[in-house]
Amino acid sequence: METLSFRYHLSICFDAPVHDHHFTLRCFPISDERQRIDRLQITIYPNEFFSDSFDSFGNRCIVGRAGQPHTLFSADVTGDAVTGLSERVPEGNPWREHLFRQQTRLTWPDEELLSFADSVPAWPSALDTAKAVMEALGKEITYTPGVTNVDTTAAEAFSLRRGVCQDYSHIMLSVLREKKIMARYVVGMLMGEGLSHAWVEVKEGEFWYGFDPTNQLLVTDQHIKISHGRDYCDCRINQGHFYGLGKQTQEISVLVQRKEAQSA
Amino acid sequence: MNNLDLLDRTDTINGLLARYGVKFGIYKNGTFKEQLFPFDAIPRVIEKEEFAYLERGLKQRVAALNLFLRDIYNEKKIVKDGVVPEDFVYAASGYLVPCEGVTPPKDVFSHISGIDLVLGKDGVWYILEDNLRVPSGASYPMIARELCRRASPRTFNETAIEDNRNYARLLKHTLDYVNTGGLSVVMTPGRYNAAYFEHSYLAEQMRVPLVTYSDLEVENDYLYFKGYAGRKERVGAVYRRISDEYMDPMNFNPESVIGVPHIFDVYRKGHVALLNAPGNGIADDKGIYYFVPKMIKYYLGEEPILHNAPTYLPFYEEDMKYVLEKFDTLVLKDVAEAGGYGVVFGSKMTREQKEQFIAMLKAEPRRFIAQEVIDFCDIPIQDRGQIVERKADLRAFVLTAEEPVVWKSGLTRFSRNPDSFIVNSSQGGGFKDTWVLSQ
Repeated sequence: METLSFRYHLSICFDAPVHDHHFTLRCFPISDERQRIDRLQITIYPNEFFSDSFDSFGNRCIVGRAGQPHTLFSADVTGDAVTGLSERVPEGNPWREHLFRQQTRLTWPDEELLSFADSVPAWPSALDTAKAVMEALGKEITYTPGVTNVDTTAAEAFSLRRGVCQDYSHIMLSVLREKKIMARYVVGMLMGEGLSHAWVEVKEGEFWYGFDPTNQLLVTDQHIKISHGRDYCDCRINQGHFYGLGKQTQEISVLVQRKEAQSA
Repeated sequence: MNNLDLLDRTDTINGLLARYGVKFGIYKNGTFKEQLFPFDAIPRVIEKEEFAYLERGLKQRVAALNLFLRDIYNEKKIVKDGVVPEDFVYAASGYLVPCEGVTPPKDVFSHISGIDLVLGKDGVWYILEDNLRVPSGASYPMIARELCRRASPRTFNETAIEDNRNYARLLKHTLDYVNTGGLSVVMTPGRYNAAYFEHSYLAEQMRVPLVTYSDLEVENDYLYFKGYAGRKERVGAVYRRISDEYMDPMNFNPESVIGVPHIFDVYRKGHVALLNAPGNGIADDKGIYYFVPKMIKYYLGEEPILHNAPTYLPFYEEDMKYVLEKFDTLVLKDVAEAGGYGVVFGSKMTREQKEQFIAMLKAEPRRFIAQEVIDFCDIPIQDRGQIVERKADLRAFVLTAEEPVVWKSGLTRFSRNPDSFIVNSSQGGGFKDTWVLSQ
């Protein structure tokens, strides 16, 4: 168990004013069996209109609109997370679990990825299989930023043998679903300073267990979960729709520290 | 029955229809063209008893389809009980994940259903397809009846016909029933939509605002109509004649510039009714059609009153075998297409086309259904002064508020081409008024 403090910062600068900017933000960790979120503070700019909502996966969203012209859009989320309360979370909605059995556009395997999936042995336990997949994947892929983007599919990343956490997760989802194991994409934050992180949850029995293929480890008390879905697209942290000619520059920074370290 | 007076006035009526702008838009090779929707004055007549039978069957079918939609987006019992295979639900393009767990106001999903039927030469009515997304067409018999009455009042004095001019009232009630507080409006994608005439006509007949995306705005979980004077009024029901995909760029196709951002989020919270409900495409999917009779038994515990056309799913091995064997006698439909597109007749393909098609069928069996070609009744139409027989279908409209109500009329479409079975208006057919006799 750990008590972490986190800060999530998103900003978008426009080099010319934009208006009628509609947004949906999905960057708010919520409490579950594995983590407890305290002292959550959310600051959104501009703050003309917004409201709280949950999507079909149970992720917390804030939807809103900034009607007036603006050149900066930002969201800051801070709080504390007590993590590692449990190694697993129960299925919250058994009516929707079919969603995590099916491949999506981003996880759809090609021949090469299918033969990789075949090469990994399946064990009676989904968790053992997931471990085997994670290890095999770790040997194949080299962590390399900059060669893939948010639209890269599992098959494309696999053929490059390179990628970032999103690619590791998509490849792992693709292989697991091919093996008829229910698995979902998770967005969250990891101890330290950097960007948001992505990993995978695998279902065994009535529970979901976290696997972090990028770091080749089981999800620990260093992970703070934000959202889950079928793939990256369901977990986009920010979606926007606006009018204007401004070019945008997006900046994301995440800081997660031990609570003691911060107060010391 | 003596319709001569009415028939003599065909040109007058068509002239009036043109003047009122009763048109149908089509896109061909990337350009938009509006064309008149040719009206044939010989009515399709349905006897009182026969219509009562159709009415019972249609109510039953729409009731089951509504229950199916509620089930699919919630508990999915019909899938768990193995009545409908998972592959036909979750892989279908009409199944929308964002609709999972969303309950529309008063639990109505298919407020306006357009059910296409044909009368076989065997005297049996067959359902060809269900349209539960944005079925169009009711306005054509509405205005045609109005103009026919004007052109030949005598005909309507002498014949006991159900008055079909109540459609706007039924529709308005359907909107008001689910309205969550505020205005009811008709939302159109705009004047380049194929059915723009209908959108404007229905709004006018119901006396409600006709709006486009730019007239609506979401603010703090509610939807507002921005009045022409700048005053904002809350909207409680939107009869939206725009597809799910383009309705809301924040939740569906992000490229859409004719949608209202976040309208779906307002709907999700139960603060506005959208007619028809988003996600209905799963119930009128051509693959799901096969399962509708099974749904009726499953949800209502009743035998289906109306028949499907005999349908095969190449997805099932046994059906695939049959389809390959009887290929030349079947009609094949691509489940992802609508409006008469993606429909091919086995008998009309060249050998090469057939080979190509069969390869495609084997690669993606889930994508196609095959049906026996129904030899449906010809009905008389006027063609350059002659009376000739042509294929026709019937789109019946079922409006659901407290319970399904069948409009006592419908859109009869016919093919002008003597060799064609395809009657869709997007394929250049014409239409007739549908008379339901009241005695």
